[in-house]
Order: sequence, then structure tokens, then C-alpha cells
Amino acid sequence: MKFSFTEDQRMFAAGLKDLLANECTPTHVREAWENHTGHVPQLWARLADMGVLSMLVPESAGGMGGNFVDAILLFQEVGRAGVPGPVLEHMAVAAPALANTSWGPSLVDGSQIATLWVDNSPYVAHAQVANLVLRNDSVITGFSSSDAHGIDGGRQLFTISGGTEMGASAEVFGLAASDVMALASAAYLIGASERMIEVAAEYARQREQFGKPIGSFQAVKHLMSDALLKVEFAKAPTYRAAWSASTGAATAIRDISMAKALASEAAYRASRSTMQVHGGIGYTWEADLQLWMKKSWALMRAYGDATFHRRRVGASVLNK
Amino acid sequence: MEVGTEEQKAKFLPSMASSEIVWGQAWSEPNAGSDLAGIRSKATRDGDDWILNGQKIWASRAVWADWCFGIFRTDPTADRHRGLTFILCPLDLPGITVRPIAQLDGDTGFAEIFFDDVRVPVANTLGEENKGWNVAMATAGFERGVSLRSPARFGEAVNRLIHLWRTYADPTDTALSDAVTDVWMQAEGYRLHTYQTVTGMLEGRPIGAEASLNKIFWSEMDVRIHEIALQILGPEAERMEGPFERWVDGFLFSLSGPIYAGTNEIQRNIIADRVLQLPKGM
Repeated sequence: MKFSFTEDQRMFAAGLKDLLANECTPTHVREAWENHTGHVPQLWARLADMGVLSMLVPESAGGMGGNFVDAILLFQEVGRAGVPGPVLEHMAVAAPALANTSWGPSLVDGSQIATLWVDNSPYVAHAQVANLVLRNDSVITGFSSSDAHGIDGGRQLFTISGGTEMGASAEVFGLAASDVMALASAAYLIGASERMIEVAAEYARQREQFGKPIGSFQAVKHLMSDALLKVEFAKAPTYRAAWSASTGAATAIRDISMAKALASEAAYRASRSTMQVHGGIGYTWEADLQLWMKKSWALMRAYGDATFHRRRVGASVLNK
Repeated sequence: MEVGTEEQKAKFLPSMASSEIVWGQAWSEPNAGSDLAGIRSKATRDGDDWILNGQKIWASRAVWADWCFGIFRTDPTADRHRGLTFILCPLDLPGITVRPIAQLDGDTGFAEIFFDDVRVPVANTLGEENKGWNVAMATAGFERGVSLRSPARFGEAVNRLIHLWRTYADPTDTALSDAVTDVWMQAEGYRLHTYQTVTGMLEGRPIGAEASLNKIFWSEMDVRIHEIALQILGPEAERMEGPFERWVDGFLFSLSGPIYAGTNEIQRNIIADRVLQLPKGM
């Protein structure tokens, strides 16, 4: 059994990481929060050019023709950068699901933006910047949106009203949109967690108390190591879930749920520990840490929280 | 396999693979546990022989082992981590006393070993003289990383736990079913993580300090699996013998996991220092 990514998959992810390091800095993310769009238009165009937005769209519809194994490291890199806006919703579900409809071309080239409303939440994330909202069996356009004041400025919440609704399917690779989003969110949360740990480790190397860097104290080392442990052990299950989802495995739903449960808990642990390592500065608006913490707190609940997903795993493995 | 001479490999590996010769580990000393570099047992050169003197403790399997692999101080003037040499020694030589230590579970697996002018050939040195720390750390990394606890062990334990849950537990107790599901996910995650590690090794990405993450993960998982089983067993969990003794024994044994092969606190320090690059210092 081989459990690793291909050289091409690694290189594509590394290319995206480089792009985001320049085009999606904390300054860019803050700008998107502060102008109340939760969106970075110039970055969106670059993601379309690079083929990120159309990774899961078949080649016959102008996309990259990839599957979830090709996409999973991209979701993780997008999370590492804390990319604001409906990138997961657009890339993981709307673009591939609507590829062969009249909306397809504009979603592949990114000239139109799609978001999702596929769960029982009264709120639609990213509605303000979206041209269309995809539901499980319809598309809504021409709606008006009203701000519901989400905690994460990069995942703004709205209630929507009015508009025109047309029939459509939100399935991707035979999976329901909310399951696909659980998988994509798991990878995003892993990337965000890795970034929080990196930022806190850097802080712990610089910040001195008692005449030493705080990272030299065991209490700090152990907080950080435990945070890393949970993230590292969420990775392989998330990559396996991508494989199961791509190959139509009978265990796909169970595997996705396992990934989302583990990644949600890992991200929450990472947010708590890294904030604690920051001390008082971690509780300020000024510290960039909040960009990934708030994203984590939003996504760990979206598309099913850890309890929901753990029980779905339990239903699959405990009963005879 | 990594550092042995061709002669040593030919001499030792076949009987090791066939379990004909059982090996015990002689690293820790009464005053050198987590701080292993503080060992004092020494080997002094006399012609083509080492003369071994000192005391080892917590020597795994030493009670019934035929040979032991130990680290001994060979250059008392060098830094703590230098001046140590990795030496292979039969346990039936004159001057060796093995004293079994009764474990928490009543078994005797580990022992104290006393060396009193024990003479072994210099050819029994594994790796270079005074480079024993490097040899020890290489074997410890491998031990923590992939070889000490196979994923199948925990998969099997969790399957038994699920059977126990189905047979005896109240299915409406969601805290309990969540806990059982949680350890199933841990065992499954450990299996997947091991596949990933082994594939990485085959593709030329050697295992490093990340091995310490493994050791914390499986040892805490093992304790958790047994805690849940004992919770399901209720009053039966108080009995050392009976139909469920395997769970009670297993619980006691699981408690040694976070301690041996480097305590989990030491592993957390290693992760912080070498994976997260935090500054050294206690």
C-alpha cells in the first residue's frame, strides 16, 4: 500500500503556497475584513488563472480534471493562508457541480462567484460577493442579502431574500455538497492550524520573560507539542478521506466524517494553545493570530461539527 | 542493520530474526532515566577487551534475555553526550548479576543488571567508540517511530472494545459511545499515519524527531482504550483474575507506555526543540 502524494500534486501545492505567501498576506486578509467584502478580487483572478478554482472541473468543461486527492493539499494551502471568500464553496462544489450548465464557463474562469447554502443554517456565508447561491437542488440568483455579522471577517454571514430559483444539482463525484464541504473544510482547518502553530512558535522564539525566550519553558513547549500532535494525526485521515471520496469507496462518508471530526478538534486545540502562548497580545485585534482562529471557530462548526461527525462515524463502526 | 559491521550482522541478525537469541536493553541507570546522558556505568579498555562496571535498571526483557545492548561511559573526560560507547554483551558472563524487578502487574519483565569487572571483546562495540549516543538515538528514533507498537495491536484492542461495548454497555449512553468511537478513530488514524510514515521512508524521507509524536499518540491511546473498557466492566474491573483479566492486565500494562522508551514529557520536549524549533532549555 502506497500512502503519499505524487510529485505533481506536491509541486502544484507548493506553487499555490508561494502564490499565497505573496498575494494573501495577513494585510490582504485584514483588508478584506475591513472593507466588509470578505473577498480579495485580485487574488481570486490569480486562483482562476492557476487552475485552482477549476481543479475539480472535468477537462471537457475547461477545468483541470482533478479529483479530491489532487485538490486536498490545495484546500490545506488555502487554509494556511487563511484565504477569505467563498474559495472552498466555489472550487469544491459549485464549479464542478455546475460545470456542464450555462454557469459553467463563468465559474471556471472565475468571472462569476458562487457560494453554497446546503445545510440547515439560516445563514449563507459569502452571499454578498456571490453572483449565485447553490442549494442542494437549485440555484438562486438576483437575491438581496442582509448582514448577519459573522465572527470571521473572511467568512461573512448573511440572510438572503428574493431572487430567482432554478433547478440544479449540487452533487460532486456522487457526494452531497455538505459532505464535500466537510472534507474541504477539514483540509482547510489543518492548514489554518499549521499556520497558527508556526506563528506561535515564532512568537515563542522571540518573546522573552525571566530573561529567556518563552519557548524555552517546558510549559510552553508542551502546549505547542500537544497542539501539533492533534494536527499531525488529523492529516492522514483527511488524505485518506480524499482518496475514498474520489474513488467512490463504500466508506467515503465515514472517512469524511472522521476527517472533519479530527480536524475540527485539532483546529480548536491549536487556536486555544497558540492564543495562550501569545499571552495578552493573543487577545488583541492587532495580533494576526485572530485571522486563523476565527476562521477555525467558524469552519469547525460549519458543515457538521465534531460531535455530529463523530456520531456518524459511530453509527458506521459501532452497530453490527 | 544501520551501524553494525558485516561480521556483526552475520553473527547477530539471523538469530535475532528467528528469536533464537533474545535481547534485553541496558540503558537506564538509577540516576540516569530521562536524563540518559548522565549514565555512569563504565567500560575501560584492557587490550582487546572492555571491562564493564556499573548498574543498569529497567532493563526490558533482561530476566530471560541471552544478550543485552548497553551504553557505557568510555571517555570520562568528554562531554556528557560524547564519550559513550554502545556495547553488546552476553548476560551469562562472570561478574553479571541480573535481579528481576516485579512490575505493577505482578509480572517480571524488566530487571536490574549489575556489572562487576565483566570482560567482553572490543569487537562487540556497535558503531564507533565514543559515538554510542548517536547509535542509541538512532535506535530510539526507529523504536518510537514505527517498530515498537504496530497499528494492528490497537486495531485488535479496539475491535475487542467494540465487542465489549455491544455486549455489555448501555447503547443510549452517548458519552460512552462517543468515547468508543473516538478510540476507534485514534486506532484507525494511527494505522493511516503509520502507512504514511512507512511510504515516506520507502520514498527516501527518513523518520526524524516526528517519531516522538508517534510515541505519545499510541501510548495515550492505549491507556484510553483500557480506561473505557474498565468503565464498561464496572465491578468486574476490580478483579485481577476472572473472565475479563485481559482488560485489567492490559490497563496496568498500558500505564507503562507513557513512561518507557522516553517519557511522554521528554517526547514533548523533543518535538518542541526539533520539530517546532523552540529554544533549548528546561
